[in-house]
Amino acid sequence: MSVRYGLLAILAEAPNHGYQLKTDFERRTAGSWQLNIGQIYTTLQRLERDGLVEPLTASDRHAATAAEPRGAEARTAGPRADERHAYRITAAGRAQLEAWLDQPVITEGPPRDELTIKVLLAVAAGDIEVTAILQRQRTASVEQLQAYTRRKAQADPERDLALLILLDALIFRTEAEVRWLDATEARIRQR
Amino acid sequence: MTDVVCLEAAGRRFGQGHTAVVALHPTDLAVGEGELVAIMGPSGSGKTTLLSLVGGLDRPTEGHVLVDGQDVGALGARDLARLRRHEVGYVFQDLNLLAGLTARENVSLPLELDGRPTREAGAEAMTALASVGLDQLAERYPDDLSGGEQQRVAIARALVGGRRVLLADEPTGALDSITGESVMRLLRHHCDGGGTGILVTHDAAHAAWADRVVFLRDGRVVDEARPAPPLG
Repeated sequence: MSVRYGLLAILAEAPNHGYQLKTDFERRTAGSWQLNIGQIYTTLQRLERDGLVEPLTASDRHAATAAEPRGAEARTAGPRADERHAYRITAAGRAQLEAWLDQPVITEGPPRDELTIKVLLAVAAGDIEVTAILQRQRTASVEQLQAYTRRKAQADPERDLALLILLDALIFRTEAEVRWLDATEARIRQR
Repeated sequence: MTDVVCLEAAGRRFGQGHTAVVALHPTDLAVGEGELVAIMGPSGSGKTTLLSLVGGLDRPTEGHVLVDGQDVGALGARDLARLRRHEVGYVFQDLNLLAGLTARENVSLPLELDGRPTREAGAEAMTALASVGLDQLAERYPDDLSGGEQQRVAIARALVGGRRVLLADEPTGALDSITGESVMRLLRHHCDGGGTGILVTHDAAHAAWADRVVFLRDGRVVDEARPAPPLG
């Protein structure tokens, strides 16, 4: 799902080809998601089938290379044969991208992650030392936070914006986990 | 690494006999030069008590608290005041600054109370304000500064005059995440420059700026987090 819209978002700025789409996607998502070139081509084929992107014609390609400031970089970065598979976004593709960006993301349904289930089962079991389990998890989560924070401290606020935003996402999720552990412990102690 | 702050079985209890309340059981903790340690725990876990013992705001009823080798609990009022003016600076969540004084006057106050001439104290205050990036706002009153700026002034005041030990009690509590982060970056910077810091917080994301995170429960240290060694 996100790869599909990721490619549309990159193509919305300028026509592009498979290899360059892969590197752009990875750079924009701060290296958090490594794609293989096969995934890129499969996704492009589906997007083309759905009328959201279309291959560039020979004359388009000439114009795009002349206008595109990263054209030289793209030519050297990707295999030459790849240039024959350059794509551009269609009006329908642009409309679908905008609709996706406008739509808030709602995570539905109860959480099924291992930690939540482990704690629920430990609390229900009664004879398990839940506080100790919570503390071991808290320590591990804070150590994870320390590792993220070290990377954040080393990042350059100008150059590494994508990385900083990605690290914030990881940090706030882990922080939420610790807050939930704290709240769980407080509830258990209140009983 | 030299230990700058050292708790040796330091504890604090209130009252006697069966009505006694133990705020902090005998605790060992050493914090070295260049080190930032965070203390995490729920309300009533003893974290503020621990900080008050290190800062000389309270005395241990058991054990010893050493700051730069001096037994804080054994110091008389005059020596304790000297320790606070020269070696240990405090930053709280709020109510840090005097509203009737400018940022510069707030920062130079501890030096003036120490008998330093006003002009000299003012110059040193400006250096301290520059170190937290606020020398341009030195003549503003606290009410005309944002929460984050006020907290940076408070850090400048805590460190002015070359104090190396920074004690911070929920310094980011009233701030938004990004402003709170800028305060944490200052604390980190202070310790990376050879200072020593102890931070009390219930916010795991801010505690994670520390080299070690000590967890307190019911007046006892129950665990400690250290970052995993870097990969590869």
